[in-house]
Amino acid sequence: MNVMTETRAEVDPITLQVIRGSFETIAEEMGHVLYRMSFSSIIRESQDLGAGLFDTAYNTLCESESTPMHIGSIPGYLRGIEETLEDGEWYEGDVVVHNHPYHGASHTPDLAIVVPVFYQGRLVGFAGNTAHHVDIGAATPGLIIDVPDVFAEGMLLAGVKLCRKGEPNTAIWNFIRNNSRAAQQLVSDIEAQVASARLGAKRFVELIEKYGEEMVFGAANQLMAYSERMTRQRISEIPDGEYEAEGWLDDDGRNRDRQLKVKVTVRVAGDEVEVDLTGSADQTPTAYNVPFEGSTKVAAYAAFRKLLLDAATSDMRVPSNEGSFRPIKVTAPLGSIFNPKFPASAEARFTQCNRMIDLIIRALAPVMPDTVIAGSSASISFAAYSGVRPSGDYWVFLEVNEGAYGGRPRSDGPDSIDNLMANTRNNPLEDLAMHIPMICDRYELRDDMPPGAGEYRGGIGVVKSQRVLTPAFITHESERHSEAPWGIFGGHEGAVGRCLVYNADSPDDVTEMHSKFSGLEVKAGDVMAYYSPNGGGFGDPLKRPEMKVLEDVLDGFCSVDHARSAYGVVVDLDSETVDMGATNALRERMRSAAD
Amino acid sequence: MARIGVDVGGTNTDLVLETGAGVFYHKVPTTLKNQSIGVVEGVRRICEMAGIGTSEVETIVHGTTTATNITIEHNGSECGMITSKGFRDILHIGRHKRPHNFSLHFDVPWQSQPLVKRRNRIAVTERIVPPTGEIETALDEQAVRDACALFRKRGIDSVVIGFMFAFLNDAHERRAREIVLEEMPGAYVTLSSEVANVMREYERFSTAAMNSYVGPKTAFYLRDLEARLRDAGVGSKLRIIQSNGGVSTVDACAKRPVRILMSGPAGGVIGGAAEGEMAGTGNVITVDIGGTSADISTIPDNQIKIMNPRDTYVSGHPVLTPMIDLVTIGAGGGSIAYIDEAGGFNVGPRSAGSEPGPACYGRGGTEPTVTDAQIVLGRLDPDMALGGDLELDAELARKAVEEKIAKPLGLSVTDAALGIIKIINNNMALAIRSNSVARGVDPRQFSIMPFGGAGPLHGVALAEAVSAKDVLVPVAPGITAAVGLLKTDLQYEHTEAVVIELNASGEAEHARINAAVETLKGCVADELAADGIAAADQCIEVVAECRYHGQGFELRATMPDGPVTADNVKSITDSFHDQHQMDYGYSYRDAEVELITLRAIGSASSRKIEIPRVQKTDGSSIDRALMFVRTTTFDNGQTLETPRYDRMKLYCGDIVPGPAILIQHNSTTLVPPGYVAETLDYGNTRVRLAGDGQ
Repeated sequence: MNVMTETRAEVDPITLQVIRGSFETIAEEMGHVLYRMSFSSIIRESQDLGAGLFDTAYNTLCESESTPMHIGSIPGYLRGIEETLEDGEWYEGDVVVHNHPYHGASHTPDLAIVVPVFYQGRLVGFAGNTAHHVDIGAATPGLIIDVPDVFAEGMLLAGVKLCRKGEPNTAIWNFIRNNSRAAQQLVSDIEAQVASARLGAKRFVELIEKYGEEMVFGAANQLMAYSERMTRQRISEIPDGEYEAEGWLDDDGRNRDRQLKVKVTVRVAGDEVEVDLTGSADQTPTAYNVPFEGSTKVAAYAAFRKLLLDAATSDMRVPSNEGSFRPIKVTAPLGSIFNPKFPASAEARFTQCNRMIDLIIRALAPVMPDTVIAGSSASISFAAYSGVRPSGDYWVFLEVNEGAYGGRPRSDGPDSIDNLMANTRNNPLEDLAMHIPMICDRYELRDDMPPGAGEYRGGIGVVKSQRVLTPAFITHESERHSEAPWGIFGGHEGAVGRCLVYNADSPDDVTEMHSKFSGLEVKAGDVMAYYSPNGGGFGDPLKRPEMKVLEDVLDGFCSVDHARSAYGVVVDLDSETVDMGATNALRERMRSAAD
Repeated sequence: MARIGVDVGGTNTDLVLETGAGVFYHKVPTTLKNQSIGVVEGVRRICEMAGIGTSEVETIVHGTTTATNITIEHNGSECGMITSKGFRDILHIGRHKRPHNFSLHFDVPWQSQPLVKRRNRIAVTERIVPPTGEIETALDEQAVRDACALFRKRGIDSVVIGFMFAFLNDAHERRAREIVLEEMPGAYVTLSSEVANVMREYERFSTAAMNSYVGPKTAFYLRDLEARLRDAGVGSKLRIIQSNGGVSTVDACAKRPVRILMSGPAGGVIGGAAEGEMAGTGNVITVDIGGTSADISTIPDNQIKIMNPRDTYVSGHPVLTPMIDLVTIGAGGGSIAYIDEAGGFNVGPRSAGSEPGPACYGRGGTEPTVTDAQIVLGRLDPDMALGGDLELDAELARKAVEEKIAKPLGLSVTDAALGIIKIINNNMALAIRSNSVARGVDPRQFSIMPFGGAGPLHGVALAEAVSAKDVLVPVAPGITAAVGLLKTDLQYEHTEAVVIELNASGEAEHARINAAVETLKGCVADELAADGIAAADQCIEVVAECRYHGQGFELRATMPDGPVTADNVKSITDSFHDQHQMDYGYSYRDAEVELITLRAIGSASSRKIEIPRVQKTDGSSIDRALMFVRTTTFDNGQTLETPRYDRMKLYCGDIVPGPAILIQHNSTTLVPPGYVAETLDYGNTRVRLAGDGQ
């Protein structure tokens, strides 16, 4: 937990709004420049990045609304940089690169670029950003799972100065250039990050020049206090108590027979809450672990921001800063999957975070029935496709596939959309196929399994089939092949995910894949078809209005048979109508059978 | 011969008429159900005012929100879509990014309000493959016919055809259209390769679907308006302003309504640019302030900017058509001020609209709005709104500000009202910044041009907030958008995807580029010719939309005058590097530059409205325009005896020292202490710091 820098003068409410608006504009501008300029699709299309301004105590003053996993992660990097900073001190004109997961980084591919902000010769804060890079020279191209330790993750950079006092450190630039399979993208994207951070620093100084240091930092502290107040107010509306939920992850990417427990205990006391992950699995021998500072805590904070300060339903926009984290304590025993010990690898950490959030929501269901939602896909599909071009150069493509939400108290779960902690954009399939030796054969809603039935149904997952045109390697980080998203308050459970590999010439000869696999060698014409989990249902399906079930059948979200068996609705597909007589009778029978 | 500009807004329909005898302005209430009723009524009335017959009107230029409103109200056509097998749900999945990072209860507009329902999206076997566009699998024609049978059964008559990689080869889309028109004669058909012939399937399909969604209704509106005008004795040409600021014909817009989705705010930007020219000021930032929102656009050197096609969304759906670069924010006269539960002081984006409206309207609104704050501060005279046509209640305004803001914050009513104004001005200033500074534009070289009735009350504060040079108040701020309509040219655009690495390009690639350029020029020339523009009067420009190889966002580069050759191809890449440097403050001079899209823009100039000059000052005192003196509170908290002048009685060269308020029928201009307002040639006004020379 962070402390406030120091007490400053009270800023009047009007100037406060003015400075808040300026902070937000600066953060958005930093993010905008970064993703527009960058070369790798994971940054420019997926916008897997974050950017913001920070004070010298590492409090977030503002942060871009990019993807949630980055939001709130940079203070961890800053603390890690303090431990490792080259020269032991900051100079004006320095640019630092940092990604060490045991020094605060979210995970190694997310490089942070940090620029110190000096005002009248004194260090007053930092401008920084993080972005996910395509390849930093890990054991397998792009992504890694089945590796022995953190040293297999590629370049570990801790407090390294890319520039010192404005002078580029050419040795480190050369080192980076020679240690990536996608060196050109990596270096150009770091340059984009530097441009974005420098812009942020410039704007920060302009803001201080305009309002004075006292006023700007005073406003920043007040905005943090404001976010904190809002969060505490919402927490205090939850009845005090201890709420639990648990679930099982498929495996660690190597030991296929061992499921991994995730146990979440949420302790609410007054206006504070603790997320205790004690009872979750021990750390794994693969990369399937979660860095505590940079990822576990960030995900837990995000869960409460979604639950308590929902941006869609709340009139107020709460500023994106440290204040909303302060009332939340996160506990995970050292040596567990959510707090691994050095030198365990901890690169593949996304699905555990998403499941933790899903379980926090589930744990609170008894006391927040109008706020929680049914089980979501709470996974991710993170695929690294790669190969060697005839020129000898590597191509590497990272793809984030979407999931689906659980049914909600007032609406169906959204279909085929990034879930919980993920919020990236997909790659246009046409753009992809024009530039790398891959082509997409199918990108549609899943139709092999229905979503969880409910008064509000679960969201429908995606099916995406990507075919490689030349020999290639695939690494896939995914989850939830064994435990379907739960239904809630009478809703039915959703469907587990699947991943198939087959050759386009023999589509019936299918290999069912584990949810995680590393460095799979595939040949030309091989297809990986990913099916994301379908969300669970919310509430009794027999309460779903007949006309809505009919609409679902017409749209193919639901089959005629499923409408009958799960919803008790009898649909005549030819006339596109509901047989109300038969439906009433069937629903009556189903209700009495349930009693 | 007369010309009329008609701008339809949410509350009022504004008209301007120009004849040899002068320029006339008029406002009538907008008829929300069918805008054409109000338009025809307004045309009739303004002709009466000008003392001419409706048959004497030669041209009517119209800005309309009809197409936009269909997307807001979700009442477009039930559409069918024929698409490639395996890709039925491109429109449902979109770019798979949620509208909010931190929310569980968010809405997904493209899923909850689909342009084409899934049941009507029929995937048929066919396959065109990259990178050449070769046909790997022929179109299953029977499947297309079967889809038509289903559409007929469901009473659908608007059809979207969108196939994967159609930007490389449109043969299947064209063949499918032939079949659809055989099976469903008279159907409204849109091809993705015709409305947006560019790479990126979701955005292209969405654009096509939007066209078919708003098409039939918009076409009906335009044709109905034409007929009603004819019935009213108006035989004139009817032109519609498009999102890119160019005008087009009813026929062209009925076919491609997707081009007029931003017709509404376009007139204001053009009007603002024209006012800049009239004042001899090239760099202006227009701020068009309405009841609920403000449209802001930066116009450097009189050049209206067009948005990057990656940023053009309408009601949550991407629409790849050229649109004037403007930002709209929820800040206007009706924006509501409130204290939230954690004590934060906010203004907008929620608006009181026109019902109940601001508290001072006396229609039951109790929440204080920006307009109420202006009344409390004595900047708006309650008895002078719309020349006294609209009566306002100052006591209700005061009560609302006092109860909802002043008491909870422990402020005086005046300070609370000043706070409301300060926060709303700041919100607008930030939006101005995002549309200017954030893109490398230095506001110190720009004039703020505020309009909309209440705009000129905010001009000086905005100029101070963004450090702009001064403030230019248009001749008729309440009606600037309508005037802008009479300042437009005919304009058409066509695109073609031509994906080529320029640094490595050789003769074959140059030939491809040159052939595409010829085709595109032909397309725009044909459209202009169809409007009766002779070849000699056509102006056609081609731009190259490029990016660094591997990037995802294109910027516009200038094409050489003649054909592209090995000698001049570098001029395209240099132009791209420069643009990149300008937009992002950085360029990668050694990186490979890739051409993605060629765009031809064809235009033909039309005659512009001539605003009459006002009388030059004869040295007489400005007291001739003095109406009365009342107290007004300014941003620095000073309350001063402030004279009101009738703006229509000021002469060119008159200088009104602040504090002062200039009043005219459709607008009020605030001149704070320390500023002066100089009347310019056309009755337009420059407000600048006293002592700042020209």
